[in-house]
Amino acid sequence: MPSWPAETKYISHATTRIDGPAKVTGRARYSSDIQENGWLYGMILRSKWPTAKITDINLDKALQIPGIKAAVLARDKNMTVRYYGEELAAVAGTTKQACLDALRAIEVTAEALPFVVRENDAKKPDAPRVWENAPNYPAPRARDHGDVDTAFGQCAAVIEGFYSAPVQIHNPMETMGNTVSWTDDGVTAWSSTQGISSVRDGLAGSLRLDQSKVRVITEYMGGGFGAKFGAGVEGVLAAKLSKEAKAPVRLMLTRFDQALAVGNRPSSFQKIKMGAAADGTLLAFEAENYGTAGIGAGGDSGGGGGGADIPMPYLYKVPNTRVKQSAVAVNAGSARAFRAPGNPPASFGMESAMDDLAVKLGMDPLEFRLKNDPNKIRQHEYALGAEKFGWKQKYQKPGSSPGVVKTGIGCAGAAWPAGGPSRNTNGEAQINPDGSIEFRLGVQDIGTGTRTVIAVVAAEMLGLKPEQITVKVGDTRFPPGPGSGGSTTCASISPTVYDICTKALEQLQTLSGIADARGENWFKACKKIGINPITVHGQWIEGLSTNPAGGVQFAEVDVDTETGLVTVKKMLGVHDCGLIIDTLTLESQINGGIIMGMGYALYEERVMDDLSGVVLNPNFETYKLPGIADVPEIEVILVNMPERGVIGIGEPATVPTAGAIANAVANAIGVRVGSLPITPAKILAALGKVPPATA
Amino acid sequence: MNAFQYATAHSTGSARELVGDKGAYLAGGNDLLGLLKDYLISTDTLVNIKSLPGLGKIERGSKSWTLGALVTVAHIENDADIKKAFPGLHEAASEIASLQIRNVATVGGNLAQHSRCWYFRHRDIQCLKKHGGLCYARNSENRYHSLFTGNDCISPVVSSLATTFAALDATAIVLRDGKELRWSMADLYADAWKNPYAHNSLQPGDLILRVEIPTSRSRSAYMQVSDKHTFDWALVSCAAAAELTDGKLKSPRVALGSISPKPHEVAEANEFLDGKVLDDATATRAADLILRDAKPLEFNGYKVPMAHALIRRTLLKLKGDV
Repeated sequence: MPSWPAETKYISHATTRIDGPAKVTGRARYSSDIQENGWLYGMILRSKWPTAKITDINLDKALQIPGIKAAVLARDKNMTVRYYGEELAAVAGTTKQACLDALRAIEVTAEALPFVVRENDAKKPDAPRVWENAPNYPAPRARDHGDVDTAFGQCAAVIEGFYSAPVQIHNPMETMGNTVSWTDDGVTAWSSTQGISSVRDGLAGSLRLDQSKVRVITEYMGGGFGAKFGAGVEGVLAAKLSKEAKAPVRLMLTRFDQALAVGNRPSSFQKIKMGAAADGTLLAFEAENYGTAGIGAGGDSGGGGGGADIPMPYLYKVPNTRVKQSAVAVNAGSARAFRAPGNPPASFGMESAMDDLAVKLGMDPLEFRLKNDPNKIRQHEYALGAEKFGWKQKYQKPGSSPGVVKTGIGCAGAAWPAGGPSRNTNGEAQINPDGSIEFRLGVQDIGTGTRTVIAVVAAEMLGLKPEQITVKVGDTRFPPGPGSGGSTTCASISPTVYDICTKALEQLQTLSGIADARGENWFKACKKIGINPITVHGQWIEGLSTNPAGGVQFAEVDVDTETGLVTVKKMLGVHDCGLIIDTLTLESQINGGIIMGMGYALYEERVMDDLSGVVLNPNFETYKLPGIADVPEIEVILVNMPERGVIGIGEPATVPTAGAIANAVANAIGVRVGSLPITPAKILAALGKVPPATA
Repeated sequence: MNAFQYATAHSTGSARELVGDKGAYLAGGNDLLGLLKDYLISTDTLVNIKSLPGLGKIERGSKSWTLGALVTVAHIENDADIKKAFPGLHEAASEIASLQIRNVATVGGNLAQHSRCWYFRHRDIQCLKKHGGLCYARNSENRYHSLFTGNDCISPVVSSLATTFAALDATAIVLRDGKELRWSMADLYADAWKNPYAHNSLQPGDLILRVEIPTSRSRSAYMQVSDKHTFDWALVSCAAAAELTDGKLKSPRVALGSISPKPHEVAEANEFLDGKVLDDATATRAADLILRDAKPLEFNGYKVPMAHALIRRTLLKLKGDV
């Protein structure tokens, strides 16, 4: 069985990103930076109806706009659209303005149909149907374990709560999009994607081309979070436009587009009843959950489902459970995998219920968790975190903080069942006689530091420095690797690089006669390989990586009970990391997860208008995201467990944040705000300060 | 955006001539360019007024100060004398948008900016303000909307400078066809109160030249609450100004933003406060009076307690510890 070295120089230490200089100087090329010869802008016309029968789409006038080189239909002239923003057609032209003019010149004939955009409305039997042949709200699926009704009778305390979270929109820094060039030789797509292979296969399938005729390149990309596994409608349209125009087409979505049709995290409405014995042992759990995945869980969901189901009961051991779950369809864009699908809403609901029950039992919420969480690693993390956070010194009874601005603390846990490797990971290294070495892996860096991880592992194994390693990723011409989702990349590529390095050292030994070609001997050994470089192939191997991953987080907040403003003062994350590869990229990823979780807790919400059926906040003015002034001191404790091998932590980092903050808010003000995001308006309502409507 | 002609004006006279009936004045452009790009308005001529002489200055008189319409928000924020003379104005300026926006945003543009109502701003919604038949907000998502209005539109004024100028009893000087009109903030937004299609009282071709602020109130303060800690619109904003002699308020004025199509002022509250010792009870009574006739809708009722807290806090801030 292979094993990682016990003494390390780079693994588990801090290495700055090897591509940092390229990023900060602008040398790094993102998909939106690609400017192939003769490239055109591409833009998409979207439905302005939430539901309609389209009977004609006339592109003639668009094609007459000066500068317009192509116009294509998204599907057909006759089609039913089921949400505001669904794609109708696309144009390509020499300027942005020409495209905008062309979109306005396209004539669409449509008959508007009844629609429903809110979950509660869609559940009603007389609501307009999103899909003609299926009810909006199918009967919930029920799962029963033990005897819930009897168990509730034996509880010393029982709480019933309602916890809800809205649809969260995918808003990576770089919007979705591609530059696509279709020539007689095939298609090349510079994609902003988490999965170059899945985009290649998707494009080939949609365009009816051999997979070998499609090449996907992702040198750099600005975040995906689950939204960017497939070619997407926008990718296919860019390809069709390129074919029609006989020129490369760059089609990047706008922020407006991004709010409508690229997938999102489903909403979640959880009715939870939970009871425990007097000593705090959980006995019974009953829950009903539903949410909306819009018109459905979308395609392109690789790396995790985009459905509305969530794991229930989350984390804790409860002997008697009854869980009913369903999804409700509405006329809105479909859901898609979103960083730790299902887990952030599950953590928020369950962890809120845990605190509510702890309060009712008169127990410290942390003690209550330790009593019921069967996971040894989280137990350890809670202990570490509580000490560092000063939980015992800081914890006060709910609402007992004095003054107008009240302080509270809370904690919550995360699990991520995946976080392990994808076995189908391959790579190669070319070793040159001068000792230079280039690794090529058909994976992509979604911003987490993939190149740096490869360089760190290679440097460690070969006795070189990370800056001596050249790394190439993001090209389907390289040996194939997995999509970057489900927190799998690091655990997939690290053993692969290990394998390549082991094989490279073996070959060098044979070729050079030097027994150990590492470190000082590297260049001597390489000199002896002859005039041609050698290429060494490797793949993921067993024994160096594992799953799952988890973690716990603590939050401290101030709540102004007169204005409702919540200020997060401190976040502490304690996460198990398996064998840490690079502490810097790891901390950065946890920071990002926590900030994203803060958005979920306090700011983000897709607002649908029930009168018009549109998304009312398709911009960062009213779709609110945490800004730098909202982000507190974030402290991260990395629990290095080398014996477990490499795991991925991207997803668990964002799971418990909202629950921890919601609990801190409830601890501060003494009442529960059960609905995310926790806005000043909801704080004031929970405190009973809001007068009734007069009109 | 739709095509337009572009011209640079070097005098107010030529600016008026160039702008005609269908043109628009361009200064910082923060709001105007957004409106154009979203096809919410179109204009046949964009008249660059950034080179108009004399409008970029702050003049410090003994009875009043004058802010030219082209003075930037960042200029107000960073001017040490303003911070001393009108601390509330400094506070309001420093909470506007982001530093990048403040660097180019102007006094005139801040006052003239259009509604932020998300129905008005939506490209595919023809709301009442856009001459459609229905105020969607009144009937649906109204969390950011007005507690007071004189018409069917419930889109509030969001200019933090207007709120503060109202409390300071400032006067906007507006050039209309060669004549200078002197408007209070109430005048500047009077049309928005009564007319759903208007967001201020400016007519095509009208140009805000400057704002005069009397120095008679040495105390002023501004506070706002937003969902976020910075770079977010105020849910409610409040400005107060007064002279304070022997602990007693003289000529006090309180104004609120984001809850009415005009800076919300209640004369009865100002009169009540006049001559009073500033304490918690006084401030509370004033807040009661100011919000007495509020008409909360389905989702904006939270603005009532929020405004109440802000009024009290802003008034008490006038005491200062300076």
